[in-house]
Amino acid sequence: MDIRISDDILDDDAEAVITVWFVNSGEHIIKNALMVEIMAAKVQYEMVAPASGVLNIVSGVDAVVRKGDVIGSIS
Amino acid sequence: MTDTNPRRLTIARAMAEAVQQEMQQDPRVFVMGEDIGALGGVFGNTRGLLEEFGSERIRDTPISETAFIGAGVGAAQDGMRPIVELMFVDFFGVCFDAIYNNMAKNNYFSGGQVKVPMVIMTSTGGGYSDGGQHSQCLYGTFAHLPGMKVVAPSNAYDAKGLMTAAIRDDSPVIFMYHKGLQGMGWLGTEPGATVHTPEESYEVEIGKAKVVREGTDVTIVGLAMGVHNGLKAADQLAARGISAEVVDLRSLVPLDRATVINSVKKTGRLIVVDEDYQSYGVSGEIITSVVEHDYSIMRAAPKRVAYPDVPIPFARPMEQFCLPNAEKIVAAYDAM
Repeated sequence: MDIRISDDILDDDAEAVITVWFVNSGEHIIKNALMVEIMAAKVQYEMVAPASGVLNIVSGVDAVVRKGDVIGSIS
Repeated sequence: MTDTNPRRLTIARAMAEAVQQEMQQDPRVFVMGEDIGALGGVFGNTRGLLEEFGSERIRDTPISETAFIGAGVGAAQDGMRPIVELMFVDFFGVCFDAIYNNMAKNNYFSGGQVKVPMVIMTSTGGGYSDGGQHSQCLYGTFAHLPGMKVVAPSNAYDAKGLMTAAIRDDSPVIFMYHKGLQGMGWLGTEPGATVHTPEESYEVEIGKAKVVREGTDVTIVGLAMGVHNGLKAADQLAARGISAEVVDLRSLVPLDRATVINSVKKTGRLIVVDEDYQSYGVSGEIITSVVEHDYSIMRAAPKRVAYPDVPIPFARPMEQFCLPNAEKIVAAYDAM
């Protein structure tokens, strides 16, 4: 399952930066566990895991992301 | 791969969780400071608290450290257990009468009849070009003055445990958290600070250092960001076959001199890493603690990698030039 920047956190044209992955690539994550934080204009947003499984991170810390971007996957 | 989710937290979240758990247990605990309510703290360390506890216990204040730190001292003496945020430690100048002549001394002045169980949490450190009045550490300034405990965690596990211990402590505690370890992107986050942090409440004893990496050839002593620079230097030295031991002080007051001395007994060499100004500070105190105890355990003159005695520059290349880093620690070892 792809992990995408949720539609409800950023404005359409806003850029955000990934600040923390709370789980490393290759580690198991449980559905609804705190997974990643992103920051836009000095405000932090968090996203929880959409599913349980092994995390694969595509966009690491400091990557610039937008609404809808795929930043990783869970398999 | 493990079956259990590692519960990694940033220092910001670990601090907020410790405060939350103590507030759930003890109605005397409350938080005051600038932007600690709706915003959740400019460094994220009070996030979620206003929603759970409301504006009586999570109190946004006007921009007057003089007033609200003084109010915190009064509340503490009157039986409350305030946690007051001094947003940047650099702003201590306008509230030091309350901190040092009242908070730190009233227990002494009253012959022990008045307690001041107050926590001041305050951000330290630079590295992100915020100028000389937003980037200092001032560890030595606070640790120099008797009457207050002083802690400075390097990672989320210690931050949560030290904050819990600080809130429960009947003495005033200065909780100094480094901005670069908070997990806030724009501050230049150090990933090593985001570590597994248990959900259940626990204390890390104030006044106990920790050997975070064992070694035999040189002891690197640091606190907060200095620990991470020390660990990176230890990796570089290990690649050359040199075994470095890294000590995380965690507390400055009380200072765990025994852990440092025992390490230097083993290695014979000491490098102190301190992001505060070099002269009259933490690095001199650590070195003195060892040589005063027994100078014969030193196999080389000690070294320090500290901030030069200049106001912190705004310009990025100039600030980065001044800051301690792993390469400077390795160079200090090579010069021993």
